[in-house]
Amino acid sequence: MAFISSGYDPKEPMKNRITDIGPKKFDEFYPPVIAKNKGKWLYHEILEPGILVHVAEGGDEVYTVRCGGARIMTTSLIREICEIAEKHCDGYLRFTTRNNIEFMVDDKSKVDALKKDLAGRKFAGGSFKFPIGGTGAGITNIVHTQGWIHCHTPATDASGTVKATMDEVFSDFQNMRLPAPLRISMACCLNMCGAVHCSDIAILGYHRKPPMLDHEYLDKLCEIPLAIAACPTGAIKPTKVDLPSGETVKSVAVNNERCMFCGNCYTMCPSLPLADKDGDGIVLMAGGKVSNRISEPKFSKVVVAFLPNEVPRWPQMTDTIKKMIEAYAADAKKYERLGEWAERIGWERFFEKCELPFTHHLIDDFRDPAYYTWRQSTQFKF
Amino acid sequence: MATIEFKGKEFDVDEDGFITDYKQWNQEWVEYVKEQEGIDELTDEHHLVVKVLQEYYEKNGIAPMVRVLSKLTKMKLKHIYELFPSGPGKGACKMAGLPKPTGCV
Repeated sequence: MAFISSGYDPKEPMKNRITDIGPKKFDEFYPPVIAKNKGKWLYHEILEPGILVHVAEGGDEVYTVRCGGARIMTTSLIREICEIAEKHCDGYLRFTTRNNIEFMVDDKSKVDALKKDLAGRKFAGGSFKFPIGGTGAGITNIVHTQGWIHCHTPATDASGTVKATMDEVFSDFQNMRLPAPLRISMACCLNMCGAVHCSDIAILGYHRKPPMLDHEYLDKLCEIPLAIAACPTGAIKPTKVDLPSGETVKSVAVNNERCMFCGNCYTMCPSLPLADKDGDGIVLMAGGKVSNRISEPKFSKVVVAFLPNEVPRWPQMTDTIKKMIEAYAADAKKYERLGEWAERIGWERFFEKCELPFTHHLIDDFRDPAYYTWRQSTQFKF
Repeated sequence: MATIEFKGKEFDVDEDGFITDYKQWNQEWVEYVKEQEGIDELTDEHHLVVKVLQEYYEKNGIAPMVRVLSKLTKMKLKHIYELFPSGPGKGACKMAGLPKPTGCV
């Protein structure tokens, strides 16, 4: 397409430049009933999976219909969301912190039409565009990252693994049969963008091979001290290398025995790539939470050291997740999050009930704090 | 990687317009970046920032932290942005011929 100017003049980039105006203020986009009753809500109820009602002091009610979103969306889909909002909600809508979409109406009579409209919309391939659910003690949307769509350090894909997992647990998105909400998160490398370190179940991209060294370009493209300082285990040291051309260049040497494939050095230095088709895969973690309800927030813990990348449906990964969810659903007490359940029954029972193998990879060996994760007690079950 | 020619000199640059070899840096490159970055006129202050960056890079092998750059040039960050509208990373480091900033930028 031919170039169409927005009015910006590249010869005078600072002319008419508007900066530091920040985002639009949130209350510009309040539905009238929300604006009117802000700070005056009395109570709320979950009427059915995906549908909430909030009642205000004056008796005003607002009905919220929550539906799943794929997070990565086209503008056509956004337009369709807007069209639904125009039709049922006077043009108002919002997105949740787990990237679900919420449509709000101020009268019960409007809920059924909205529900029917949303449930009837499907993509050509057959999947629901706007599945209603994600409330209460079920499984809501998966917080995830960029994966092979856009990032350069991933060890697995984000949208692919998430779609495979949500398909597997879809009935729990539209149901509230679990003991407590179960949060699943996904990050495609251990930068852990998002919530994997604090989720009930977490999917994490993982490498198993040390970086390859591109000596010819390393000193040109990288600030070598940064690559050295990026390593959490001190596996990288500076060195000089003779190239086949006879030239001696500055570079780094990686002690493969000390490398644990975190990929931090590649983040800092483009000449240290480490992605590998067979080496890369997935780690599963479990038992994290962020709320302070009953027990304090917890980190999730590694429970499966490695599962291969099985494009495009990751069957081993989804099977393992399903196994954990079923064991938890069958055994945990009401209100008990997955981490609380595992800690109450003991992690050895968790592995037994979830039928997961326990391998040496799961034993912490990172610096002094590793010691505190070992068992300094005679309290255990056979 | 692309090669560009400017005032009779050749430079290997990446897709973001950083030179891929610090050794190729020269005054023509500064002129070239000046046009790319929308800088009206090169002042002594521009040259000072470039000189400080290069001296720090040659001595330490890394680009200085923003606070260090501020301290060494005795310029506030706001003033560095006035000199280099794209900022110390994309503007000044590019002009000085330093490697492209990495990490979660």
